[in-house]
Amino acid sequence: MRLLGKLWDLFVYLALLAGGLTMLVPFFWMISTSLKAPGAVFDLPVEVWPKELHWENYHRVLTSVPFGRWYLNSLAVALGLTFLNLTSGAMAGYAFARFRFRGQGALFLLFLATLMIPVHVLIIPLFILMRNLGWVDTYYALILPGLFDAFAIFLMRQHFLQLPRELEEAAIVDGATPWQVYWKVALPLAAPALATLGTFTFLAGWNSFLWPLIVTNSLEMRPLTVGLAVFQGQFSTEWTVLMAGLTLGTIPPILVFLLAQRYFIQGLTLGSLKG
Amino acid sequence: MRAYYRFPLLFLLPSLVGFLAFNLGPILTSLLLSFVSYDGLRPLSLATLRESWVGLENYRRLLEDPVFHKAFINTFFYVGVAVPLEILVALLLALGLNRPWPGVRLLRTLYLLPTVTSVVAVGLLWRWILNPTVGPVNLFLRWVGERIQGAYGLLGITPPAWVEWLAREGPGWLSDPAWAMWGVILASVWAGVGLRMLIFLAGLQNINKEYLEAASLDGANNLQRFVYVVLPLLSPTVFLNTLLAMIGGFQVFGLVYTMTGGGPLDSTNVLMLYLYRKAFGVFPFEMGYASAIAWVLFLILFALTYLQWTLRKRWVVEET
Repeated sequence: MRLLGKLWDLFVYLALLAGGLTMLVPFFWMISTSLKAPGAVFDLPVEVWPKELHWENYHRVLTSVPFGRWYLNSLAVALGLTFLNLTSGAMAGYAFARFRFRGQGALFLLFLATLMIPVHVLIIPLFILMRNLGWVDTYYALILPGLFDAFAIFLMRQHFLQLPRELEEAAIVDGATPWQVYWKVALPLAAPALATLGTFTFLAGWNSFLWPLIVTNSLEMRPLTVGLAVFQGQFSTEWTVLMAGLTLGTIPPILVFLLAQRYFIQGLTLGSLKG
Repeated sequence: MRAYYRFPLLFLLPSLVGFLAFNLGPILTSLLLSFVSYDGLRPLSLATLRESWVGLENYRRLLEDPVFHKAFINTFFYVGVAVPLEILVALLLALGLNRPWPGVRLLRTLYLLPTVTSVVAVGLLWRWILNPTVGPVNLFLRWVGERIQGAYGLLGITPPAWVEWLAREGPGWLSDPAWAMWGVILASVWAGVGLRMLIFLAGLQNINKEYLEAASLDGANNLQRFVYVVLPLLSPTVFLNTLLAMIGGFQVFGLVYTMTGGGPLDSTNVLMLYLYRKAFGVFPFEMGYASAIAWVLFLILFALTYLQWTLRKRWVVEET
């Protein structure tokens, strides 16, 4: 019976290992294709890993489309959204955690109710609004809608509620204004929550697709996701170049994830279990 | 100090502005738009709304629109297959990865990598992975087919037609209307299973170990512990995870956009893609009609959430 249990454990472990490696196959294939000779990808039998590494695919993707510009756009959008989200989310979260005012509960519920509204209901009027403001094809349209995020407010409120009040009270006794208490005392203590929210927002921003697809139309304003998707037609006969582009585009989110894995996982589990 | 007793205008201002301009305003406008015929070109004002008011006409047209019907059915098919598959695989993975194996953290990371990859990269990558002649999926399937063929050959029997087919070509995936949706589902399970697994892991780690020890003392074996202790205590997580997966699934867009563009022959057209095409994709734009699609999709999601929370009361075991 014990031997059977050990054998079963071994089987489970090997299955998990095999599954994990299978998950990597598409990534491996992406990199391997990105290094093949452009004309050779349809040859049979298929080369699993190219004998000669063709780095020119990377050179081609960087020169044949404004890849660098797309990259910077994605970075600007992801960082801009993160900054906006953390700033407004932490401020509102603090307001709900430390202030008492009329209609507080109702306002908080109203904010939370927006989590029920899926983004597809918003995009058409939001696009019309951006057009009326003359913001289509600008960073404003890409970033500013992130000004309000109920999830960020909720997360930050929870965090501020858990902070001990003694430090803030000491600052008040010393004559600090509410803003000073927030900025100098409470916010630095909220660093872990900010890191969680920030990692989460950065990845969501880097990977966002539908909204940027709608509000950008010039080659120069596309973020990487939209640039690659819209111009896949241009690459459709050049798989090696497309795969080089995908490889370069996949590096930042995976890097951020590996560096901030702890915060990312916290954010996901908080968001899904409590939300 | 218990609290500041005043309205924190300074702190709430950014969120309030964002809420009014980018949430509440658009929601109300969207509802109005679904009752008008609007091409998106004229400036939008109250006068425009009044002139182009068509009442429930957009919703009535949906009932007769064959492409909408197709997209509706496809979306349900996608959710109906991809979500249970994803949940089941994720649950098994979480159970396996909840144990202190050597290198378990690294293993979890492997399963999570596709989750942080953008949906566009996943879609474009899988177009290549599912290439019928040189993609690794079909290379593998052909290899399996040849082995089966070989086994039949050893027995001296002519293999059935499907084995010949598997060994010679395999599924056409994205170019074949019968297979295209399965290709999309395959990619979406690969991309989504890590996140579901992570949520299950968090749920499993919340289970009080004392229950499991008590069950062991009473002589329960592994299977019994799973069926009578773990599963009931995990049921809130299963419910929530399924709900989240379904909500995400009904809004599938980027994957289909990049993998098939809804084709071939609308076989992978889904509600979000149809909405996008109507509002922004194909001229003349029909933003009113697209808004009606948006609200139908919203109603589906709302009904789903309501249904799940009602069922939850009956089926879920709450830890007290």
